[in-house]
Amino acid sequence: MKLGEIAGGTATFVRERFPVEKLNAESMLTKKVVPVHRMSWAYYLGGLALFFFLVQIVTGLMLLFYYQPTVSDAHASVEYITQHVSGGALVRNLHAWSSSAMILSIIVHVLTTFAMKAFAKPRELTWVTGVALAMLVFGFGFTGYLLPWNQIAVNATKVGLQSIEAVGQYLPGEMATWPTYVRETIQGEAAVGQATLSRFYALHVIVLPFLVAGLLGLHLFQVQIHGMSRGVDSERVGSQKFFPFFVIKDLSVWGVAFLVLFVLGLCLPFESFFAYPLMEPFDPLGSTPEGIKPEWYFFFVYYPLELLPYWAVMLGMTAAVVGLFVAPWILRGASRRTLRAIAIAAAVYLVVITVFGQPIYEALKGVNP
Amino acid sequence: MIQSFLLVGLPYAAVLVCVLGSIWRFRSKRFSYSALSSQFLEDRQLLWGSGPWHVGIFVVLAGHAVAFLVPSVWASLVSNRTVLIGVEVLGLGAAILAILGLVILTLRRLRNGRVQAVTTTVDLVVLGILLVQVVLGLLTAVTHRWGASWSTGTASPYLWSLATLRPDPALVADLPAVVQAHMALAWVILLLVPFSRLVHLFSLPVLYVFRAPLVVVWANPRRFERATAFVERIEARRYFLRATAGLAAGGALLAAGTFDQFVHFFFGPRMSEKQSADLMEKKLARLEQNAAQKKLELERTRQAYIRVAKVSELSPKKGRYFVDYEMRPALAFQGQDGLPVLRSAKCTHLGCTVGSDVDAQGRILCPCHVSYFDVGTGRPNPGAPAKDPLPAIGWVLMDADLNIVASRSPDGAVHGAPDPSQLQDLDVYIAKAPEGRRA
Repeated sequence: MKLGEIAGGTATFVRERFPVEKLNAESMLTKKVVPVHRMSWAYYLGGLALFFFLVQIVTGLMLLFYYQPTVSDAHASVEYITQHVSGGALVRNLHAWSSSAMILSIIVHVLTTFAMKAFAKPRELTWVTGVALAMLVFGFGFTGYLLPWNQIAVNATKVGLQSIEAVGQYLPGEMATWPTYVRETIQGEAAVGQATLSRFYALHVIVLPFLVAGLLGLHLFQVQIHGMSRGVDSERVGSQKFFPFFVIKDLSVWGVAFLVLFVLGLCLPFESFFAYPLMEPFDPLGSTPEGIKPEWYFFFVYYPLELLPYWAVMLGMTAAVVGLFVAPWILRGASRRTLRAIAIAAAVYLVVITVFGQPIYEALKGVNP
Repeated sequence: MIQSFLLVGLPYAAVLVCVLGSIWRFRSKRFSYSALSSQFLEDRQLLWGSGPWHVGIFVVLAGHAVAFLVPSVWASLVSNRTVLIGVEVLGLGAAILAILGLVILTLRRLRNGRVQAVTTTVDLVVLGILLVQVVLGLLTAVTHRWGASWSTGTASPYLWSLATLRPDPALVADLPAVVQAHMALAWVILLLVPFSRLVHLFSLPVLYVFRAPLVVVWANPRRFERATAFVERIEARRYFLRATAGLAAGGALLAAGTFDQFVHFFFGPRMSEKQSADLMEKKLARLEQNAAQKKLELERTRQAYIRVAKVSELSPKKGRYFVDYEMRPALAFQGQDGLPVLRSAKCTHLGCTVGSDVDAQGRILCPCHVSYFDVGTGRPNPGAPAKDPLPAIGWVLMDADLNIVASRSPDGAVHGAPDPSQLQDLDVYIAKAPEGRRA
């Protein structure tokens, strides 16, 4: 291919993804319509994830007023927030519940947009930025988990980081030590300690929010400029105006979501799902307490890691991530029926492993050998 | 005499005239039974006058109505400081809004020629009285503060006494002149209702807000299309306005409900002396723990040998935690030969710290993923997630004078033989030197 052709192709690609003639409030707001069909509910999921993200920003900033990111003070400052600051327990609980709600709505959002083939031309960029956003949100979960510096936080982070090092056993020669360098670079020192806490804090509070803000801007811009995808194969698809009808309904969904979240935040402390000693401050010299587990949204990779050979899990996960990123191109010709089947299979896997992971693990491994 | 007329006679007269007069007007001049809107003569100033006036007076009257109808509920509500201040501020704001609206409406009546043409003397009288009445109310609120609270013991029971036909003017007889004037004028306004455009109080177009818009069009295809687009636009606008109102109301409720918590969140806690002391003690303990950790680290960089325990302190059943030269957890046991067994406690699977209790089969458990390690060999049980054994750590035995009596390298070779009778008094050390450290 000649250089000119590549340049021309690139220009066409960019022009189709950023159509200048649509860059106005009229086509992005007043004339925009949302299709109405069986799957219409799925159009609310992205907005819902956005809402929970906004809640995260607000509650996160509030927590930032009191949190102290040092090994000796972190746990005490979190305790100070929950026990002494007025409304502090509520704010922290909202932050925790909202993070789970955000990840849940993102997972369902990814599955439904996949099933609706929302990644088809010209929406490839929407999809790719969306997958990247989902990864970043998991990064938020992983880094935020460490910050309270309690037993489960530090030990689960150790285990999570250690699994990077396990890649080394499959690499030849000198390369076998590279994963160790990677892990220690992330940790900032030989063991999980103050350097790790500082880094995770910086990632959680500054780096990831800015990355998300940038990608989210692009994502939402693409959504507005290209409009909602049709979503179903059927020819008879009704439509409704985006403004004011869909916007108001979206806001109403946010209202209900906030109500549920607030009630949950008031009534059900998220720590109530953890055994008591796990919430104790991390003790570097004591033994690791039982029940060290990541958050529920990592179960889909945690339990396979426990049950299957490491290489199989890594291969599967890499394939899944790469597959998600290139889906718009490799699944260009796939029908929505096929995509729906894949999405349902993925959903079934996620639900089963997340809800029944522990019983499956116990059945396959036997608790007392 | 005058006072008892104003407080008892006037109210009953006003109510009687209002009721009878309204009936008379409805029967004799039915089509005048409205606000007699002059909107089609002039609508800009009307919007800026009528809007604020009606919103303001509605809020103020609603406050009065609740205080008079359910005084006990109202009294318990305003006994809360925040609510009382909120109510007073809202009332003052609404009153000022109403006055602004009235002033604009009055100016409009006086200056616009078209409106002037339909203006009657009664209209101007009503406008004037309303203006004076709201100003009196505002003066009352400013000069005799917290009326929301004191009216529940004075004006409310007085009105109830009137309503139950057992008038008790003594309840309000001692109130300041400005308040009495405010009350008397209220009855005058009621008196004027049947004889002015105030009768629209009884013909509120409430359904107007809820009914769908009506558009009258010619039966002509071209216009029909335009009318359809028009209706669509109106419907969208109504939907938007209604929804925005709903969301604003919800948002206001939400703000009211969470405001208290969130303001105090930023204010920060003011702890009792004991609480602060407890917290400080806890923080100090953490700092000391951290300092101890740092000391261990420093010790491990500087010292050639580090003491683990006395041999007599070791047990075959329960391991003793210590920190090895790499700052990793390790365990010390008493072996079967009576000599110490030192083993890393960092699980070879994913790095959890292994437990210290030895089970009946001589194994210790890593609780993270359930691997059992043999204390003697360090090997995990078959089928465990961990594949590699826990590494052994070499040790050195020294007597009280720091003479090396015996040592074991990580591969298990023992150098020197301690006297069994003295063994219990010796100290176990780990060594920085390579031969004493684990492989």
